[in-house]
Amino acid sequence: MRTAVRFPARVSLEQILDGLARDTEFQEMVTRWERIAARPARYAPFPEWLDGRIAAALRRRGITQLYSHQAAALESTRAKHHTVVVTPTASGKTLCYNLPVLDAIAKDPAARALYIFPTKALSQDQLIELERESTDMDIELKTYTYDGDTSPAVRAAIRSAGHVVITNPDMLHTGILPHHTKWVKLFENLHYVVLDELHTYRGVFGSHVANVLRRLRRICEFYGSHPVFICTSATIANPDELARRHIEEEVVVIDESGAPRGEKVLVFVNPPVVNRNLGVRRSALLTGRDIAATLLASGVQTIAFAKSRVQTELLLTYLRARFPQPQWPPELIRGYRGGYLPSERRAIERGLRDGSVRGVVSTNALELGIDIGALQAAVLLGYPGTVASTWQQMGRAGRREDLSAAFLVATSSPTDQYVVQHPEYVLDRSPEAGLVNPDNLHVLVQHLKCAAFEIPFEPRERFGTEDTPGVLSYLDEQGVLHEAGGKYHWSDQAFPAEAMSLRTATNDNVVIVDTTGPAPRTIGSEYHDGKARVIGEIDRFAAQVLLHEQAIYLHESKQFQVERLDWDNAKAYVREVKVDYYTQAELAVRVRVIDEFDRRAGQRGFDHAHGEVLVSTLTSLYKKLTMYTHENVGWGKINLPEQELQTTSFWLSLSERATAGWPKERIEVALAGLGNLLHGLSPLLLMCAPHDVGLAVEVRSPHTERPTIFLFDMTPGGIGFSERLFRSTDALLERAREHLDSCDCGTGCPSCVGPAYALGADVREAVADLLAMR
Amino acid sequence: MNDLRARVAAIVERNRARLERRGERGSDPAAAADRNPLFATGSPRPGGRLPIARGPSVSVGSRPSLDSPFEVRERRISIDELGLEIVGRAAIDPVICAHLGLKGEAPDRWEDVLFLDTETTGLAGGTGTYVFLIGIARFADGELILRQHLLLDLAAEREFIAALKQEIEPFRACASYNGKTFDLPILRTRFVMTLRSEVTVDESHLDLLHPARRLWRDRFGSTTLRQLEESVLDDGRVTDIPGSLIPDAYFYYLRKRDPTIIAPVLEHNARDVISLVRITDRVARAVTAARAGRAPDHAPAAFALARIFERTGELEAAFACYESAYFDGRNDLRMKLALAFARHLERRAEVDRAIRMLETLLDLGLGSPPWRMQVESRLRRLSKKRWRQLATAN
Repeated sequence: MRTAVRFPARVSLEQILDGLARDTEFQEMVTRWERIAARPARYAPFPEWLDGRIAAALRRRGITQLYSHQAAALESTRAKHHTVVVTPTASGKTLCYNLPVLDAIAKDPAARALYIFPTKALSQDQLIELERESTDMDIELKTYTYDGDTSPAVRAAIRSAGHVVITNPDMLHTGILPHHTKWVKLFENLHYVVLDELHTYRGVFGSHVANVLRRLRRICEFYGSHPVFICTSATIANPDELARRHIEEEVVVIDESGAPRGEKVLVFVNPPVVNRNLGVRRSALLTGRDIAATLLASGVQTIAFAKSRVQTELLLTYLRARFPQPQWPPELIRGYRGGYLPSERRAIERGLRDGSVRGVVSTNALELGIDIGALQAAVLLGYPGTVASTWQQMGRAGRREDLSAAFLVATSSPTDQYVVQHPEYVLDRSPEAGLVNPDNLHVLVQHLKCAAFEIPFEPRERFGTEDTPGVLSYLDEQGVLHEAGGKYHWSDQAFPAEAMSLRTATNDNVVIVDTTGPAPRTIGSEYHDGKARVIGEIDRFAAQVLLHEQAIYLHESKQFQVERLDWDNAKAYVREVKVDYYTQAELAVRVRVIDEFDRRAGQRGFDHAHGEVLVSTLTSLYKKLTMYTHENVGWGKINLPEQELQTTSFWLSLSERATAGWPKERIEVALAGLGNLLHGLSPLLLMCAPHDVGLAVEVRSPHTERPTIFLFDMTPGGIGFSERLFRSTDALLERAREHLDSCDCGTGCPSCVGPAYALGADVREAVADLLAMR
Repeated sequence: MNDLRARVAAIVERNRARLERRGERGSDPAAAADRNPLFATGSPRPGGRLPIARGPSVSVGSRPSLDSPFEVRERRISIDELGLEIVGRAAIDPVICAHLGLKGEAPDRWEDVLFLDTETTGLAGGTGTYVFLIGIARFADGELILRQHLLLDLAAEREFIAALKQEIEPFRACASYNGKTFDLPILRTRFVMTLRSEVTVDESHLDLLHPARRLWRDRFGSTTLRQLEESVLDDGRVTDIPGSLIPDAYFYYLRKRDPTIIAPVLEHNARDVISLVRITDRVARAVTAARAGRAPDHAPAAFALARIFERTGELEAAFACYESAYFDGRNDLRMKLALAFARHLERRAEVDRAIRMLETLLDLGLGSPPWRMQVESRLRRLSKKRWRQLATAN
């Protein structure tokens, strides 16, 4: 532990909050200051039937009784009910599934359990925790992580000897299920399947995972086991529904937490409008930086959540500038995001736990249950996109029973402005629902093939859809399956699971290679070996924007310039530089309609439709913007091939009547403004992240032959967002009109229709005219 | 229902179009299902100079019929006809087995070894890859008995595997070509899928791929069975269905039920098994000859054998092979073996010769600086030793 960190003034969090409460300038930004009272613990005794070794070991660790929800989970799983535990961060959820599993293995050494975690990093933590527990308890329990990093040498041992196998949905999908004959012991004796962070299995990923679980259950049936599912979830509105869609059986929901909660202050911050004419607010990044700096300077261990990789790096740079070396230790503040190497992330997690790292700037990578100990304060730069994520990020502060604080700093994006002006959306209302569509044909058919590969299909089997036999016979005609003796057998050379990823359309990542050359060993970089080294990787879609040639790529707040991008071989060669600008690539989007599923003429002069589209994106130029003032100081060309995305889209076209008599320029402006407005608000309706939906605006679409706004699923094949938008177009337009009415900009700002200076002075008025149309 | 089918069709069609654009698996399964993959390159005829094609061998069994869901065909070929010198004749020498890459306990007799090769519906492995044909061969009464189990209906896989299991169960040793990583894992999967049963035939396993690589890779570049037939047995295949077409041929057969489609695959498999036996014999011969002091003419092969002998402690044979490899080898090979060869010379009290050899290599200006340093340090040691010897002699 590092104790040499000296802070000029150690002020308690209570004092800082006091100061902020009295700071009138700060208070002007605050739209809500909510104090949530502490709540005492509710306990329950260990059940009598619990193996004595487990209870004894818990007592040795100072745990003499269980929280009420832990006891409830034990009873529920003992009664063989599928169980969902919905309690806040740090309420001891892990024990809810570890105890039933430990008890089962204590009573029957042949018993097996499968733990499924959404990410690799999470499983690392769980492994350590479970091994510590079983060692304490003197129970013979072998726990293994089985994922892409598992070396082939130990895989055979894991398959036969692992009591608890920890994996992720992707590995289950490609590595375990298609090879189930190597896992006979596991599947024959599978007592429990643990699905942690159930709420993350929504959208496309969730729809895939639900199908992977269908396949898992088919295989369990083949081997004669009937595992009980134990799920945990963040607070969402429909945990039972979500779990039922995944497990396809009845579930018991345990949502009354018995864990104590410390007092908590939640502050909603809306940075001031700095230029009313331009409708520009002070940057959330800078406002958040000031809050975080105030907290850090007083020694309050703080986590800041940024919404993107670039923002993470920018904030890290800003904060480090506030706390220069050598007065401040270099590892005072660290960055944490997906592009970092695992060893680097482990070191940061350790530093947070032992207190040597006082501040961390992270993407949502740290939102899930990675063990980083208890932090005192959280600063959210922007609304994280869902209420569940907001609570999870805020919950990163205040795991202990003492006072904690969380600040939500709104950006000028439409969702952020909606949330910060209606904080009750987060505080009062039951948060949004986790949605999946496992019967989405795009997803279902792929998994049906995988399932047929795993075990031939019986004609009476149903896999999701009622019309399973129809799909099977179709695939038989196509030669993918072969019907023999009433069963459908896989009849293709290909390995169907290999070609498909559960998360994105492609596993195709661009590797980032640093060619800076020999450099002295510096703190915080564990892999400076003086040679070209890989510093991270990024998927292709992001790479076209972040890693084009000449781009300034930020990693651990160091600037790297991309010198060469080898697109065919997916390698970007970068060199460290020191410049005072960053780059931003412009993405041109084109939409071609392949198939129109449905169309309706709207009442407001809008026609709306949804269907299958091909979206082409092209990055053709980038801008150089100065670090602090975001001034445009130059640009350059990008030579990259067009990227294609086949997906589903919702589109809205203006009828001739709607714009009758309008000059072309006004139609253009209104269309762009309305597009921005609808795109900005659609996440609130769809309960997805803003970047899950793409926007394209065409003044004359070749398909509709009218001015048209496309809102498309950013996920290949689509996940039904577009259909939902199609079905609730009226609600979307209504919300748009309300939001436009309540926006306090005069002529249009990024929070509503977009900035007037960029789009046109009459943008807000034109959009309002469109929306008022009957 | 029609609507659903149409939508699935559209999805499948689009995915295929996308893959085609990316240049992956461009074939149209529907079209492939109706196209005989064999006739794309002309109708294959039985040919080549393999003994089984020449006549005197007995062929029991018939063309594939539709009556039974699987069938077994048997051929017997005499050992003489196969040109075997060691395999199938003498008792098994455990040391030869070691050279053959044996894992596990050495079988006593060649009659206890099952030679096998499978044909599968894909190369990827996993539970959706079927074994539809397996050729197994064993020695009895001076003959090689080759039996091919062919699955004619995927619905009868269970019976097919059960019959196969009964036949291979008495064996605890097998020989294969790359069976450790390919044939046996897939067979194991099929046994679990159909019978929930174990495979025990490979408790001792001679996987010929590895010794063949050691002996011949440097010489022929590749060591596929096909390459070895041509280069080692001097008996290449004139017509043969390429391995990559076999899964599609089988799927096509399942749809068309035309026995002529599967006939080339049966022939292919029979040749594979027979070549496996003959290659085993060639490896055994090379080992035996080298032990008798006749190292292979080919320097890389001699070098490979030298290292095997060294590992099993047969130092005389190792020395003979090193010596032969040194004389016949090119300079790069000489450099590779110089230090080991020098050690052998030293052990045989031929210190002068060792010094001369190493000095020659250095004089030729060969090698990288680290290698030269190693050689120089060895030379110093050898020279010291020689002076000591001279001193004691005086």
